[in-house]
Amino acid sequence: MEKQWVDMSWEEKREERFRRWLSPDVRFASTEAEKAYKARVNRFIKVIKLEEPDRVPVKLPVQYYPAIHAGGNLKKVMYDYDELKRAWLKFLHDFDMDSFIPPSLVFPGKVLEMIDYKIQKWPGHGLADNAPSHQFIEGEYMPAEEYDFLIKDPADYLQRYFLPRSSGALEAFRKMSPLTPFVAIPVGYIAQFADPQIRKAYETLFAAAQETVKWAAAVGEVGQAALSAGFPNVWGGMSQAPFDMVGDFLRGTRGIMMDMFRRPDKLHEAMTRLTPIAISEGVASANASSCPIVFIPLHKGTGGFMSGKQFEEFYWPTFKKVMMGLINEGLVPLPFAEGDYEPRLEVIKDMPRGAVVWWFEKMDMARAKKILGVHTCIAGNVPVSVMCTSRPEEVKERCRKLIEVCAPGGGYILTAGAYMDKGNPDNLRAMMAAAKEYGTY
Amino acid sequence: MPKTKEWAEMTWQEKRQERFNRWLNPPDVKFVSKEAEKLYKQRVTRFIKAIKLEEPDRVPVMLPTGNSPAHWGGSSFRELMYDYKKGHEIWKKFMAAFGDMDIFNGPGFIPCGRIAEVVRSKLQKLPGLGLPDDATMNQFVEGEYMMADEYDKYMLDPTDYNLRVMMPRTTPLFESFRKLPPFSAIMGNFWVSALADPDIRQTFETLMSLTEEQKKWTAASLEINQYIREHGYPSLWGGGIMAGAPFDHFADALRGTRGIASDMFRQPKKLLEAMERYLQWTIETNIKNLPLTASPICMMPLHKGDDTFMSDKQFAEFYWPTLRRLFLAMINEGLVPMPFAEGRYNNRLKQITDTPPSGVVWYFDQTDMKEAKRILGGICCIAGNVPSSVMITGTVQQVKDSCRRLIEDCAPGGGFILAGGASVDSGKIENFKAMMDAAKEYGVYKK
Repeated sequence: MEKQWVDMSWEEKREERFRRWLSPDVRFASTEAEKAYKARVNRFIKVIKLEEPDRVPVKLPVQYYPAIHAGGNLKKVMYDYDELKRAWLKFLHDFDMDSFIPPSLVFPGKVLEMIDYKIQKWPGHGLADNAPSHQFIEGEYMPAEEYDFLIKDPADYLQRYFLPRSSGALEAFRKMSPLTPFVAIPVGYIAQFADPQIRKAYETLFAAAQETVKWAAAVGEVGQAALSAGFPNVWGGMSQAPFDMVGDFLRGTRGIMMDMFRRPDKLHEAMTRLTPIAISEGVASANASSCPIVFIPLHKGTGGFMSGKQFEEFYWPTFKKVMMGLINEGLVPLPFAEGDYEPRLEVIKDMPRGAVVWWFEKMDMARAKKILGVHTCIAGNVPVSVMCTSRPEEVKERCRKLIEVCAPGGGYILTAGAYMDKGNPDNLRAMMAAAKEYGTY
Repeated sequence: MPKTKEWAEMTWQEKRQERFNRWLNPPDVKFVSKEAEKLYKQRVTRFIKAIKLEEPDRVPVMLPTGNSPAHWGGSSFRELMYDYKKGHEIWKKFMAAFGDMDIFNGPGFIPCGRIAEVVRSKLQKLPGLGLPDDATMNQFVEGEYMMADEYDKYMLDPTDYNLRVMMPRTTPLFESFRKLPPFSAIMGNFWVSALADPDIRQTFETLMSLTEEQKKWTAASLEINQYIREHGYPSLWGGGIMAGAPFDHFADALRGTRGIASDMFRQPKKLLEAMERYLQWTIETNIKNLPLTASPICMMPLHKGDDTFMSDKQFAEFYWPTLRRLFLAMINEGLVPMPFAEGRYNNRLKQITDTPPSGVVWYFDQTDMKEAKRILGGICCIAGNVPSSVMITGTVQQVKDSCRRLIEDCAPGGGFILAGGASVDSGKIENFKAMMDAAKEYGVYKK
């Protein structure tokens, strides 16, 4: 590289990352696979940059579906990594796609049990054995009086207050003392490790970590197999909106709704504090992969949860900063707007041209194309109900309409409004077929 | 903690009195005799009166014995880093050979050798670990451990910064912490896998393997101090915290002298902001609602505020405001900050008068004590400062003369503690005795 990273513009950084994405560290199965890989990545790069690719790219709306497609279920693959591998490789083999997501969010059940993870239910653990998805358990894990602790020293707060509450096996972390840059001999720090409960917590953690190694090996193998076969990953990293970090994990919906009225200043301060953390989380996770797209699931900013005024005051400013921070590192934020973002269109268009990809669930895509699509790539939004219950012809027809409305001029990715966790595999194939039939430029 | 009145409703003097009472009547000490108990109380009372700027029976003495019993007993700092038992035998013998002292403490400043070997801190050299085997003290190694452009990182998320940036830089044992994920990642559950890294695991295993030795060292240290108390010798520094000046926190441990000197010119606002944050953090974490401890006195070594390190203007801008507020917060909890002004504070005396009367005890190293008394008299109890050179190389007569002059200058009206300018690591037991004798001969207050 001629120019130093810090001296580059965000576009230059992004070109650099796109180059890496186009040439991943993998041995392709054949020159054909390599050609197909590059064609697929280029398809995504072009739509991000609002150019016309050869045809509309597709992101199949698949998260846990391969588990069921392989004849098993989510519970089975969460506990049996061989089965996990088998299911995802089978899916890879059975479908034509533009991208493939390895099962890195199909968390190992045994690890969650070992740490007694309390903020999620999963099949066989709070949910029915055959449940097709996990369930997040929201709660007021941070009482309102603790805002100041979080603001003052986020890592300290998360370690000594949040972890003991969210993971039963780590309850003893409550007893740890705050970490100062102790000078020379850390006697006090060492002394803590004599506490049997603290010891036990660490031992459990290390055992859990060993377990994740086995799981990660299976996930890694699947990822490599997909790349090698020519299917790119479109999820480099993950990040969050600061409002959701507070609302989902710390205060809960009820808590944060009250906070907007009762302690708006504290809430703002906490979000400001979490903003650079969310940025570094996105950058670090994306750096670990070859793909520059950062997936950001959005929750509490949707229409119905808050007014437009509240969105502009509480949700958008720090979220925008997070996205700008990612963009400035050459990354591409991909916010997934769960719920209804139609009332937000006028606000969220305030971003640099071609810098973001917006994925919508409930949305009048024609309006989105008109307001946002002129300078931002959009993705969506065949309803999940259609994906799960309708016939392939219906899916294909829906896709055709979306393509007609959104594809002109580029800047569109065909996908559903959320994930299809079970249903007719031909509905996924119909989506792909529609892109090929109607989406060629 | 409090008995009759709620703690929060007490004045600082009342809180301090509670803490003084705890010092005077230690619930965990079983005195070996009535005599020992009587002497203990007399000694503590002597200090309390001096601190409160009243006249005690005589000038109290803080003998600068430091680690010198090791030398006296034919051992060394290095040997005692490993042989705790031997250290205790020597300290007990020294105590018996000496007799009357106003305070005395075990060799608690000699760290555990086996732990130091494994931790390998770059911040400190020890005899046999970076210093010659026969060195009589540890040596602090200053450095630029925090870079000039890292103030924001530090302020944003101090624990994360300490854990993943500072500790790996200063301490080889924690090298692997560089690989830890940002702590924010714990909001999901991805971070668990980071701990699978064999180096990180090794660090924690090492930490756990050290706890046995650490317990032995701590138990030994408690045991010798308990023994000393039971024989009637109080400890002065029972505050339980060793806070420092916010400026020194950045100058000593993070930025180094060179770094902090540039920061005062190049990024004064950042430095002030960071000190402010550190001050708030220290007050919240270490000071507020501190339970009753063995004594309310908190020893606070001060470094970079002395006459030669910075100008008066810089002291007023960078050093004093946060230090003063730290003092006030401590005083408000009933604690007695006892800053130890290493170096010279002659120019500073006029700048440090704005604390509540009797709130602070100033312990001076090379400051002109006559001036100190003139300027701080009626505001602060002062302690000092027979030069270490005199203590180590002087004759008994020279030590006594030095003490007599100090008593004449500083004792009138109370508010004076006779002390060395610094602790002595070698030297003669006769000279310590001479100091004690001088206090008894010249330092008695006439009723």
